[in-house]
Amino acid sequence: MYHFNFREFKESMFLGAIALLAFIMIIPLLHILFMVFMKGITTLITSGPVFVAGTLSEGGIGPAILGTLILTLFASLIGIPIAFAVGIYAYEYPDSIIGRTTTALLEIMLEFPTILVGLFVTQIMVIPMGTYSAIAGAFSLAIILMPYVAVYTKEAMNQIPFTFREAAYGLGLSKVKTVFMVIAPIAKRGILTGLLISIAKVAGETAPLLFTAGGLYQSFPNGMDRPIGAIPLLIYTLVQSPSPADHAMAWGAALVLMIIFLGVFIPLRLSIKEVKL
Amino acid sequence: MRTSKETLKINSVKEKLGSHRIRKFDTFHLITYPAVIIVFILFVWMLLVYLTNSIPAFQREGLDVYLKNIWNANENPLKEYYGVLAAIWGSIYTSLIALAVALPLSLSYSIFVVDYAPRKLKNILIITSDIMAGLPTIIYGLWGAFFLVPFLKDWVMMPLYQYFSFIPLFSQKPVSGFSFLSAGILLGIMITPFVSGVVREAYKMVPFTYREAAYSLGLTRYESTKLLIGYIKPATYSGVILGFGRAIGETVAVSLVVGNSFNLTANLFAPGYTISSLIANQFGNSFIYSHMTAVLYAAGLFLFIIGLVINLLGIYILRRWKKNVSL
Repeated sequence: MYHFNFREFKESMFLGAIALLAFIMIIPLLHILFMVFMKGITTLITSGPVFVAGTLSEGGIGPAILGTLILTLFASLIGIPIAFAVGIYAYEYPDSIIGRTTTALLEIMLEFPTILVGLFVTQIMVIPMGTYSAIAGAFSLAIILMPYVAVYTKEAMNQIPFTFREAAYGLGLSKVKTVFMVIAPIAKRGILTGLLISIAKVAGETAPLLFTAGGLYQSFPNGMDRPIGAIPLLIYTLVQSPSPADHAMAWGAALVLMIIFLGVFIPLRLSIKEVKL
Repeated sequence: MRTSKETLKINSVKEKLGSHRIRKFDTFHLITYPAVIIVFILFVWMLLVYLTNSIPAFQREGLDVYLKNIWNANENPLKEYYGVLAAIWGSIYTSLIALAVALPLSLSYSIFVVDYAPRKLKNILIITSDIMAGLPTIIYGLWGAFFLVPFLKDWVMMPLYQYFSFIPLFSQKPVSGFSFLSAGILLGIMITPFVSGVVREAYKMVPFTYREAAYSLGLTRYESTKLLIGYIKPATYSGVILGFGRAIGETVAVSLVVGNSFNLTANLFAPGYTISSLIANQFGNSFIYSHMTAVLYAAGLFLFIIGLVINLLGIYILRRWKKNVSL
């Protein structure tokens, strides 16, 4: 005889529902990837190589691509050494008052609204200098970059078993040598991965550049004290334009940005187990 | 008895060790302290910049800056008057909608990935979620402006307006589709990976004995999951709080879909403003006016403090919970 079991019914409903919702969660990403690819590839094919090499009036986003590379490079040069040292400090003193405050500060900065960083840099650099500049944009990105790098460094070093430290101290090495010549080299892979993920992340930032970099798309960047463009910033400008030709450019630029991001992110992500974003 | 020679030797060794210890101490701090100090200075400086630059706004208008919904940009400085209440409301409203979207998705995702998904599917789901978390927000904005907004307008807002316009939430005719609802849903999609990151990590940490205990009582998978979800409640709260912090700070994607107009209404289909999109839209031309810049810094200060409080709260709850679990 058929016996309806309410508990079993609820059980299967529940399993179906969570599987469905888990898939609904990733549908937007699949659709975004698909749409950016389809629309972007059309623009890229119709414009040809001019699209990545030419200026905006020639129908290309060359200055923006170069701008993103320059900004990311200088942000890394400014941010990484400081962030690395902070990460090491937070790793070495997890329980001291300064260490705990540092860790908390890093976690706050990780979640901090990025537009506020942009406005801050506008006030301290753009207004005194009297012009938007590449260095202001790079500094802005460096502030965003720092907490990511520091947290990744700290966590990569936390993975190293404590016995390595004991062995290093047992050999009579000083704290500096232990950290920089024993622990850091062993954690090298984790630290490097963290660095690259952080860089990929800031390369896609828009808000901190809004009032610092200024934007430059009709000619190539020519100096750190002059305005500079960036791909995300260009997309933001193009989306707000009413012309469909600009929208097509925006999709093309988005495809370039997405390829850069995924090209860095996916190989790295496959090589490690967990990331914190 | 030690000979004087031995004592001398011991003392010299002690001295060496001592001086060595001091040197060790110094070099490490010499390298790391400046960096730590720089980070602290940057943070305090940022707070100071927001405080000092918003003072003129408070002196001129008092708390009206936060409590009124006015936007009189005028060539004549005497006629200028601003109140960003609509933007504050918009930030909170869109972030709440975002949470309403993100919470059920994150919970289901975490349960599915940790307990039930087959291994291969599990890896794919985790990597997908990580990509979603890292994807440049401007790409979400682009997709939101050109796909999500028209889609929501035709398939969600219009039907709801036609059949349920007697409910106040749906009573405004969706004209362009750029609205609180669009911004909230886009934000929800964007913060889901963060919220599920926190929830999944917590759910994974639930000791296996709890699962064994639940099953040994004869509970079904549904019932035992319900039990375990209760166990990670504090972590879920902190995930929600941190997600709210993310949503309220998001700028470009929101400013492309929220509609950018001053509206103080709970109507889901009305276009609105958020604090960050207000800054993104108005700061560029605020220098033409005499008093607008200070007001925008005051709005930034509000966002700063909300961000600080919310993140501290979220981090605190999560830390306390983790400590309890690991005991």
